[in-house]
Order: sequence, then C-alpha cells, then structure tokens
Amino acid sequence: MRGALSSLRRMIDRPDPAPEPGSSPRAVAGSRPAAVIDVRQVTKTYALGDVAVHALRGVSLSVERGEYVAIIGASGSGKSTLMHIIGCLDLPTTGRYLLDGIDVAAMSEDELSDVRNRKIGFVFQSFNLIPRTSALQNVELPLVYGGIRSSAERLHRAQRALTMVGLGDRFDHQPNELSGGQQQRVAIARALVTNPSILLADEPTGALDSAATVELLDIFDRLHTSGRTVVLITHEADVAARAQRVVRLRDGRIVSDEPSLQGSGERRVTLTSEMSPV
Amino acid sequence: MNRQNVRIALQGIAGNRLRSALTMLGIMIGVGSVILLVAVGNGSAVSIQNSIDSLGTDTLTVFAGGGFFGPGGRSTGAESQQITLTAKDVKNLEKKYNAPDVSALSPVDQDGGVTASHDGSTWTAGSFEGVYPSYASIENEQVRSGSFISEADLQEHAKVVVLGTTAVKSLFGSASDNPIGDQVNFSGTTFTVIGVLKTKGSSSIEKLDTTALIPATTMQDHYTGTSGGYSEIVASATSPTTVDAAKSEITSTLASDHGLTTTEASNDFSVESASTLISASTSSSHTFTVLLGAVAAISLLVGGIGVMNIMLVTVTERTREIGIRKAIGARRSDILGQFLVEAVLLSVLGGVLGIGAGVIGSLFKIVGVQPVIALYSVFLAFGFAILIGLFFGIYPANRAATLRPIDALRYE
Ligand SMILES: Nc1ncnc2c1ncn2[C@@H]1O[C@H](COP(=O)(O)OP(=O)(O)OP(=O)(O)O)[C@@H](O)[C@H]1O
Ligand SMILES: [Mg+2]
Repeated sequence: MRGALSSLRRMIDRPDPAPEPGSSPRAVAGSRPAAVIDVRQVTKTYALGDVAVHALRGVSLSVERGEYVAIIGASGSGKSTLMHIIGCLDLPTTGRYLLDGIDVAAMSEDELSDVRNRKIGFVFQSFNLIPRTSALQNVELPLVYGGIRSSAERLHRAQRALTMVGLGDRFDHQPNELSGGQQQRVAIARALVTNPSILLADEPTGALDSAATVELLDIFDRLHTSGRTVVLITHEADVAARAQRVVRLRDGRIVSDEPSLQGSGERRVTLTSEMSPV
Repeated sequence: MNRQNVRIALQGIAGNRLRSALTMLGIMIGVGSVILLVAVGNGSAVSIQNSIDSLGTDTLTVFAGGGFFGPGGRSTGAESQQITLTAKDVKNLEKKYNAPDVSALSPVDQDGGVTASHDGSTWTAGSFEGVYPSYASIENEQVRSGSFISEADLQEHAKVVVLGTTAVKSLFGSASDNPIGDQVNFSGTTFTVIGVLKTKGSSSIEKLDTTALIPATTMQDHYTGTSGGYSEIVASATSPTTVDAAKSEITSTLASDHGLTTTEASNDFSVESASTLISASTSSSHTFTVLLGAVAAISLLVGGIGVMNIMLVTVTERTREIGIRKAIGARRSDILGQFLVEAVLLSVLGGVLGIGAGVIGSLFKIVGVQPVIALYSVFLAFGFAILIGLFFGIYPANRAATLRPIDALRYE
C-alpha cells in the first residue's frame, strides 16, 4: 500500500485552477477568498403522496477552494441530499447554489454534465458501479465522456487510478466479483480519474476496515494537500477529525459548523453570515 | 456520436446476450413472415397469370347466347338454343373490311356425349369439336406427332381426328403410344388419327387433354347437321394491343348480321377476351395476396410489440445505469447515441436475418405454390422493423436521459 501511495503522489499533480500545494487558500492575501461551493438558503422538499418530506430546511454553506470539510449528522438528517445538490446531481427546491460563482440553476443540461465530468468527483454511498462492466472500464468511463480520444491514454490513467486505490490486480473484475470495500475503492478511483478539483464522498469509509480507512484518509489528505477541495460525509469521529472543518446537520438544518478539534494542518472557520439558526 | 458510443453499445449488447437474441428473434420472425407470406400470395398470382398467358392474350371467344360472363350464362338460356352462331357469321367475320383487327377465326362446333372406341377400349370424349385449321394457332395448340387438320381436310370433309394425350391414353393404353394412322370409331363413324396434341399447362381453365378435334365440315356432316349453329367461335386479334378493337368489330359485325342493336346483342352472343379472364383472376389473386399480407403484417406487429416490450423493459431496467452515466459526466447525446446504436444494431441484424429466413423459406413450395418474393415487401418489412426497434429503443432511453441523475439513480 505504500507503493500505492507513492504512485498517488505522482498522480496527484495539480488540479486545473489550483493554488500551490500545501498552501492555504487564505494565502491569496488581499483578494476576497473565492467560495468554490456556495449554498444559500437551500431547501429540498419531497412530495410523498400528500405528505411533504422536508429533507433540507434552509441550509447555507460556503466552502472555499482547497478546504477539507466533513459533514456529520444522524441518519436521515439530509446529508446525502445536500451532497447531491453540491454535486449537481439534483436541484434545490428553493434557494440558490453557486459553484465557482456560477448559479447552477442557470446552467444548461450539457454544462451540468461537463461540470460533473471535469470539476467534481463524486463517490456514492452505494458505489453505483455499472454492472457487467469491468473495474477498468468503469474507471475509464469518465474519461470517455470527457472526450479523451486516445484509448491508450484512457487505459493508462484508469490503470493508474486503480493501482492507486490498491486494486492493481483487479482490473478485469466485474462489480459483482468484488467485495464491498473493493467496489468502494473502484468508485473512488472513478471519481479521481478525471483529476477533478472538488472531491465529494458520501460515507467513503463505510465499507472499509480500519486499515483500509486509514489508507483512504491518507489519499484524501494527499488530495487536500495538493489543493483540492474535499467534502466528505461520515459517521465516524476519527474520520471527521482528519478534516479542517466539521459541519453538523440535524433535521435538514446546519446545527454547528466549526473547526475540527484534532484536525491537522491549518484550521479555519468559515461561518457564513447566513448561518441558519438552530 | 463517436466511436466510444459504438463501443459502449456493443458492450451493452454483448453484456446481455439473451435479451439481445430475443429482440433480434422478434424482428426476424416478423420480417421473415411478411416476406414469405407476401411471396406465397405473389407466387400464386404469378402462376395464374402464366397459365392465362399460355391461353394467348390475343385470343377472343364468341359465345352463343348470353355468354360465359354475360346475362343468361353459357349455353343455358332459352335464347341460346334458338339463336346460334352460324357458318355465315364466320364467313362475314373473315372479311377483312368487317373485322380488320381479326387475324384468324375458327368455329368450335361441339357435340356432347360422343363415345369413341378402338380395339375394344372405349372413351367418352371430354370435348368433341369441329374446328378450322386456324384453331391450332388461335388456341396455341401444337401437335406432338403427326399433323393438325389441314385446309384440304376441311374442304374434303375428311374423316380425320387429332387427339389429346388423355384420349390417346384411354384408347391406346399408353400416353406415349404413337397412334398415327390408326382407326378410331366415334359413335359409329370411323376416323383416322392424323395427329396427337402436345400436353398444355395444368390450369383448370383449359380443356386439358381430353379433346378430340375433327374438321368443322365433317362435324356438320355426321353429327351436328348444317342447320345447327356453333356454340363458339374463337378468333385471334392481330396483336395483343388490338384485342379491344377486334372485340368491338366482331360485336358490331355480328349484331348487324343478326339485325340487332348492340344492347339486344348482349342476349344473343357475347365476346370475351383473355383480358376479361385476366382481370377477373388477377383481382381474385390480388385479394389473396392482400389477405396473406394482412396476416403477415399482424405477425410483424405482434413481433414489433415484443420488441417494444423488451426494449422498454431493458431501458427501464437500465435507468439506474443511465443515472450513473449521467452522474459521471455523460451528456444526453451520449446516452441517446449509445441506445440508438444498440437499437439500430439489434433491429438491422434482426431484419437482415429475417430477410435471409424469408428468402430461404421462399425457395420451397408452400401448399403447392412456388413463392415469388415481392421486392416491396422486403423494404416494407425491413423498414417497419427498424422503425419499431428505433422508436422503442430511443423513446424510453430519451425519457431516462432527461431525468435528473439522482432521480434516474433512485429509479426502481
Ligand atoms: N427521493 C426521496 N423521496 C422522499 N423522501 C426522501 C427522498 N430522498 C430522501 N428522502 C428523505 O429525506 C431525508 C434525508 O435523506 P438523506 O438521504 O439526505 O439522509 P442522510 O442524512 O444521508 O442519511 P444516512 O446517514 O442514513 O445516509 C430522509 O428523511 C429521507 O427519508
Ligand atoms: Mg446518506
């Protein structure tokens, strides 16, 4: 796994508009820090027959470039719902969401597809690998949709991403031939293969044992250090502790947003003025 | 659409072989059955057409009485017994200024119930007819051996007979026998066999080979008598295109000879051409083809519904997959391209297999009919199958591709 990490180090070159590795976004002194993720008073309501389910009840959250944020909260508190909106997989019922300063509601369908492809890497709670398709092909797919024509390059990058998550010997396995943890790692490789500047992960360590969890968190640390924005959902305190900032959700509202207690590296608090009241 | 979509589509087809095979089977059966059944209908039409052609398309027949298709029916009305076609009528029609478009004429003077005998074997003649030498060319009769009735035979009232194959078989024991020069007795009068007719087609419309032909003059001498008339006069037009002109010339000549108006004449005699038969039979065989085509179209429709079903289920089952693809950056056009290629490949492959099956199937005789493939049915069936495959592959895929990724992912 050490080898895997060193190959990761090679792979994690700079994301497209990235600051110097290791440097804080704050280092851009003088200029107003650009919020890469800017969620404003977002609500999400599902209509279940006559009953309206309020999954989000007015959430405001601003994440700056290069931040490492953990979202925690009880089951059903709306974490995944918020993450889907941040990942441009779903639209809010009310409120606005600005990604890199652009209102997502104003984007065309194709623009949203391209954002999902290039800017965001998304790791689902339930993996969502394409069945009857090998691990390598699953990981290669975002590159196909990203318009990379050379199949040699696609293959090379997909192999590198899979090797990085420790699946160098499972290229040709189909999802149903992989363990839950291995599927999870294929999903992570797929999220990273396009080299996105934002990584969103919904309980990425849920299916991993403690050794694999540490391995994965090292990957996330590395990504963070190289300047990527990382947002992950977790139930586990030690996972949340690795982040700079911990956002707690309850019943569709943010109840706390504070720097991680044991978080390594720089810690910052970004409390937006629109912090929803408890 | 790019090469990747084709690759992804191929993976999709290969990833679910049974489903792909079933889809293709549905299209194949639909296309194949349309082609084959229309070919059977078409084949029967062609065979009827051929047997009518062998009668001669320039042939006209004048029936005494109301005629075959006209009022009164053939030789059954009271008038047909009184008013008959006579030798004088034949003479008048032979005059070029009366009927310039008629090239040849022959009376057909029938006597029913004549029994022939030879050397102890007897045979009841199917049709015992007195004719002119021109009868052979008009009715497309040819002799297998010997010769046909000559002009001299007619003038001399010669007692000579030309026999059909069946007659030879009944009287001489074997159809291949050569009875030229032998004597045959027809109800008391002895005739010399001078020719044997070639076997004609097998159509039921023809008199087949049960004919015995003698000179018309001899017929009147010994059987029907000079006062009686002919039951028919056969004529040929100068060419197939002048049949209608010849028909009206014959009608007006005979009507004026009999002192009748054209309307009255329809009860006295009627003139039929082969084209009358052709239109009657083509319309009935057309009905047959349409009927078969309808049955086949229903099977294509049922096959099509099967394809729709499989496609709908497939895409519904793959809504989640579409959601995943969109989540990792597929555009709507990528998804549509993938399913378009899949649907086109499946339906074209199925259609080609169906054409193959239809073509192979139509090599064999089906219920006695040799199928003849109609090109339009190939295009129609193939086009329809592809349209069905395309529409029901693309429509649900498009529906899934327009969903938000998360809704497609949650789809159950
Ligand atoms: N498609 C939907 N239709 C109706 N209600 C929904 C839908 N999706 C989510 N919900 C509801 O919204 C609420 C928030 O769901 P969400 O998936 O965001 O929870 P979560 O915080 O991710 O929980 P967990 O930790 O168990 O994953 C839940 O009460 C859930 O029942
Ligand atoms: Mg969740």
